[in-house]
Amino acid sequence: MMDTKVPVSRRALLGGVAAAATVSAFGLPTPAEAAPVLGGKMIYARYADSQRLDPVFTELNVDIWVMNNLFDTLLLPTPDGKGLKEGLATKWELSDGGKTVTLTVREGVKFADGTPMTMADVKFSLERAMNPKNGSWNSMVASVASVEVTEPATVVLKLKHPDPTLLAALAMFNTSVLPKAMYDKIPGKDDDEKGKIFGQKPMGTGAFYVSDWKIGEVMWLKKNPYYWKKDAAGVQLPYLDEVEMPVIPDDATRLLKLKAGEVHGTEFIPYARVKELQGDANLRMELWPSTKVTYIQFNCRPEYKGKPNPLSNVKVRQALNYAVNKDAIIAITTHGLGKPLSSFMSSVTPLHTGSGPVYPYDPAKAKALLAEAGFAKGLEITCHALSGNQDDQNNLTTIQQMLAQVGVKFTIEQMDNASRVAAYRKGDFQSRTAYWTDDIADPSEITSYFVYSPTVDCLHTGWKSEEADKLFVASQEEVDPAKRAAEYAKMQDIFNHTGPTMPLYETPYPVAFRKNAKGFVQIPLGNNYFEAAYVEK
Amino acid sequence: MNRSTWLLLRLLQVIPTFLLIGVAVFVLARLLPGDIVSSMLGERASDAAINRMTHQLGLDRSIGAQMLSFLESVARGRLGDSLAFHVPVLKLIGDRLPVTLLLSGMATLIAVAVAVPMAFVAALTANRWPDLLIRSVFQVGLSSPVFYVGLVLLTVFAGWLRWFPVGGYGDTAGEHLYHLFLPALTLALSFAAVVMRSLRASILQVLTAEYVDFARAKGLRGRVVLFRHVLRNALIATVTLVGLQIGSLLGGAVITESVFAVPGVGRLMVDSIFARDYPVIQALTLVLAVLVSLALLVSDVVQMWLDPRVGR
Repeated sequence: MMDTKVPVSRRALLGGVAAAATVSAFGLPTPAEAAPVLGGKMIYARYADSQRLDPVFTELNVDIWVMNNLFDTLLLPTPDGKGLKEGLATKWELSDGGKTVTLTVREGVKFADGTPMTMADVKFSLERAMNPKNGSWNSMVASVASVEVTEPATVVLKLKHPDPTLLAALAMFNTSVLPKAMYDKIPGKDDDEKGKIFGQKPMGTGAFYVSDWKIGEVMWLKKNPYYWKKDAAGVQLPYLDEVEMPVIPDDATRLLKLKAGEVHGTEFIPYARVKELQGDANLRMELWPSTKVTYIQFNCRPEYKGKPNPLSNVKVRQALNYAVNKDAIIAITTHGLGKPLSSFMSSVTPLHTGSGPVYPYDPAKAKALLAEAGFAKGLEITCHALSGNQDDQNNLTTIQQMLAQVGVKFTIEQMDNASRVAAYRKGDFQSRTAYWTDDIADPSEITSYFVYSPTVDCLHTGWKSEEADKLFVASQEEVDPAKRAAEYAKMQDIFNHTGPTMPLYETPYPVAFRKNAKGFVQIPLGNNYFEAAYVEK
Repeated sequence: MNRSTWLLLRLLQVIPTFLLIGVAVFVLARLLPGDIVSSMLGERASDAAINRMTHQLGLDRSIGAQMLSFLESVARGRLGDSLAFHVPVLKLIGDRLPVTLLLSGMATLIAVAVAVPMAFVAALTANRWPDLLIRSVFQVGLSSPVFYVGLVLLTVFAGWLRWFPVGGYGDTAGEHLYHLFLPALTLALSFAAVVMRSLRASILQVLTAEYVDFARAKGLRGRVVLFRHVLRNALIATVTLVGLQIGSLLGGAVITESVFAVPGVGRLMVDSIFARDYPVIQALTLVLAVLVSLALLVSDVVQMWLDPRVGR
């Protein structure tokens, strides 16, 4: 989706982000702005349709990134994606050495059909999210032993052990509160079956509800007249009566529709088109900070395809990192919109450390390291690319040329997605392209996949650091924020300097709007917020 | 053999064709490289989730058992549920098929309406400038990729001139025709070129036939000769060609519907491939293959009507 062509300086990116951020804080207009227009419809073109709007069973961003408009969680992520704020809960406190979490739930909240939200809804939704049979996200709340509720407004979570990630998990989509009474009436033998039906016409306490949906074509969200939230000036949210989301997979057509004024906004602007849209007087280009990181990962096992694997040597991995000029790749692939990674996690992921590039471009050092590793005469490495992916093509051909300068023959193997994923899961690759986005405002998710070997063998690379594994286990129960931050700093240091990846860049979410369409917000986790969006006449 | 027997035999041929299509669709889906389930669930899926989905899809059974069960389901008209959208595949296809049929129908009409008169002009002015001009213009249409033609038409007529909407399908019958005009024109351009070239060649051939000379010698007027004797005979080969081209037209619809955001089966195919929605991909392949074979059947019947020698 993100093949791009026109160069834009990083300064332009930062300026864009700052401008977007000052337009509104989390979609709420600043006092200097004109009053928002109430009512009306915003048309926002998406590149792909949602599939299953069930918070527990979905695994896709096309669902996750819009569900926050339909459902609420007890806590909500802050606009910078690093903290938490009030959601359906107005207060929360830890006790019993971090093993009990007591939340006070907002009173008077109603679902979009006018039914009052009760504590039974809260308990049901959390227990549904915790059920190990339900979907892929239950591990995020696996530390919860029991959910106890007291009417009218208290929920007490008893934990198996202190869990510093739990509060962030209570702001994650999978813990959204669903209407139990409505759900109970849906036929089906288990949550999977019932959830399929619920996910076609979902309803929650969010700013909107799905009023109609032509699958694969267009979805209509209508204003929830009972929504609990008001803006800073006390005006009832959402401002819009309706959001229409047509699905237009083709980038060129989506942008043409935006330019022709047939839609108010659209997502996934190709990097190559960003500069052009920035220069269009009728449009406003927004680049929202994101947690998306792009990297190459290396197989670290001693052998690959029956032969000794040079990438098992940390010096070789470091040499490859020094040999690649990330700024050049950023200029070529992202047209200057990305920025070099200073850690394996994005700079907007909580507890991120690092300020400069992990490996500054230094081909001389790369050659020296290769010589020290016994590869002064060069070596050969293969890399699995996703066939037809323009970003992969740009990244890898650039890397190929840079590695040739230090004597590394880098062979690109184009693979279809199914074969590539199968090889990845078996660890049957020497190196491969990859990217990641966070789903939770906490570093534990990305760290569990990248650093903690028991999860998936560190991205299926076979890399392992006993020290990092121990640090991760400790950090998962560490309730002292300072100590946890120190543990994360150490884990990042170990992984960044000895780990199995070549961090390339982090990139923002590029969205564009007509000048008169305002108030949309996309947070670093990707969620789209329309609650404070409006269209000026 | 009389014509009714010929027609009956032709209809019976459809049965083994459909069976072969069913087997081919099943085998092709299994020949795709890589593990379907892990590809569908993505890189972060747990082994338990993959095993669960493999079992749900019946992929842990033998290939023979899977094929029999697939063919049995198809014979009963049960094509399963979409893995991505969780609704019956037949509903997904049923909602979109009329859109694609309307688009293909419009494209065929435009192509024939343009190609037939142009073929006549070209044939009657063979190797002179009108012929050369027409052939050159149609050659461009034939050699331009559909996605490129679509984007150019979209940019010029919808983006700049604003004569047409930028893609979509509209809500009323009138809006459908309005929205589908540009995509139909896109599909029609290369189609018209194929029809024009074939018809021009046939007309040139028929013009030299003895029965045409005889018709002229009888003193029939030029227009009567052209329409009653030349066109009818020249159309025989073209009708077969139009039938054969339905497949290309549906293939073109896959691209055109994506470019113009038309909610037809072509775009559903693209979406399903990206979503690794195998039940939908299988069902769509089946439906499109059946449609093409039905189109060939219809073209055979029309040919029989045009050419009394067929079926004797």
